Amino acid sequence: MRLVVDLNRCQGYAQCAFLAPEVFAMHGEESLLYDPNPGTDGEADAELRENVTRAVAACPVRAILLELADGRAGDGPGGAS
Amino acid sequence: MTQDILRQILDYSNRADPYPLYKELRRTPVYHDGSGPFVVSTYYEIQALLHDPRISSDARNLASNAADPLAEPGGEEETVLPPSFLKLDPPEHDRLRRMTNRPFGPPHSPHRVHDMRGDLHEIVKGLIDRIAENGNAERIDLVEEFSYPFPVTVICRLLGVPPEDEARFHVWADTLAASLDPDPDADPKERERRTHDSRMELGMYLSGLIEERRKNPTGDMLSELATGNGPDGTMTTMEVLSTAALLLIAGHETTVNLITNGMLTLLRFPEVLDRLREEPELSVNLVEELLRYEPPVQLVPQRSTLADIEVAGVSIPKGASLWLVLAAGNRDPLRFEDPDRFDPDREDIQHLGLGSGIHSCFGAPLARQEAQLALSELARRLENPRLLADPPPYRQNAVLRGPRHLPIAVDGIRP
Repeated sequence: MRLVVDLNRCQGYAQCAFLAPEVFAMHGEESLLYDPNPGTDGEADAELRENVTRAVAACPVRAILLELADGRAGDGPGGAS
Repeated sequence: MTQDILRQILDYSNRADPYPLYKELRRTPVYHDGSGPFVVSTYYEIQALLHDPRISSDARNLASNAADPLAEPGGEEETVLPPSFLKLDPPEHDRLRRMTNRPFGPPHSPHRVHDMRGDLHEIVKGLIDRIAENGNAERIDLVEEFSYPFPVTVICRLLGVPPEDEARFHVWADTLAASLDPDPDADPKERERRTHDSRMELGMYLSGLIEERRKNPTGDMLSELATGNGPDGTMTTMEVLSTAALLLIAGHETTVNLITNGMLTLLRFPEVLDRLREEPELSVNLVEELLRYEPPVQLVPQRSTLADIEVAGVSIPKGASLWLVLAAGNRDPLRFEDPDRFDPDREDIQHLGLGSGIHSCFGAPLARQEAQLALSELARRLENPRLLADPPPYRQNAVLRGPRHLPIAVDGIRP
């Protein structure tokens, strides 16, 4: 999985940090920290992947771009086919 | 534009399908009939106003709400508790919301909502098992049996209401919800008395629990709210009470309607229901589309202007009352392609269903998880579910809109 957050879009709603706390964290009230390359895409990462998918969908400003290892684009700006 | 379109929107006979009226309303993005509220129904205008610091949520900034049919009467009941952050502006809103968020979400409590997933699963399973054991497959009311009890139980767990008290909590929540949804045939005096009694009992119960948790905190939201001591200080008992009541009321009715509107929509689109059964991960995007297509909060009626402003070429004076019709903005063809189509695969889906800006839904991450789980489990376990009434009977409320009952029949319930 590869992740990019468009920090110009990000408004600090923190929805991603609720839904995938192992990948997204708030630093203070507004800044977002995230792991751009979470997991190793093995079987054990199914839950991580599910959580990240939920986080991407929950972003009110659609700031998260997700690319899965199989090259499939996840939801998000520019990620849509 | 007919003069009485607002009356038509509020008229119960249009509750099952208000969308043609919203379409008509959008022809005048800022509608004002001379004495009533300024009604905004187009996506970009609503989005901008939700982020505009010249818009207030504090009813004290209204010059007059005499002509607003959704204005709250604001009697004695309103003054019992201090206003919750839903009805406040910065900086007071920010202080209370920050203090409430501290034990609920990131950065201080990034795991609270995530860690409730096991509980949510267990509650959903318990409710569906109970239907399987006691229900009549020929006629199940999904509202009474499922969408109604689920969110109350979740809020009890979140706040830390002991399991043995949950039943009492359900009764109070029922009465308070009924007060949001007046039955025109009931005696208003009797209803008022019951609402008042329920509020008092709930208040007394919660203040007792708050005192107990202050002495012996147990890690739940109520304990954390009562003992929290961050940079904003500690909430007074009255502030904790008013916040707990807000979480109960705002988190309840809305989630009930999200789940019920969701099942109703799925039963109207059985091919999507079939897909959800096979692909539970569809629930993630499906719930976003439901928040656009059938939002549980149709409009935000309690905003006002702090200055003279101009919206879409219309001047709105300071102190005016505003309605932001989220459900109309969600179907604005200038924003969404083919907006009246229900499309669970929709990619461009930045809906207004959870609001936006400083008052955006506080419980959104919890509500999403509840709805995603509820809908995917119902799809998986109900065998051949079908609607017994379409449209189903709706609640009176035009703002928090949703079915009062959702009668369905099933062939059986899978384990």
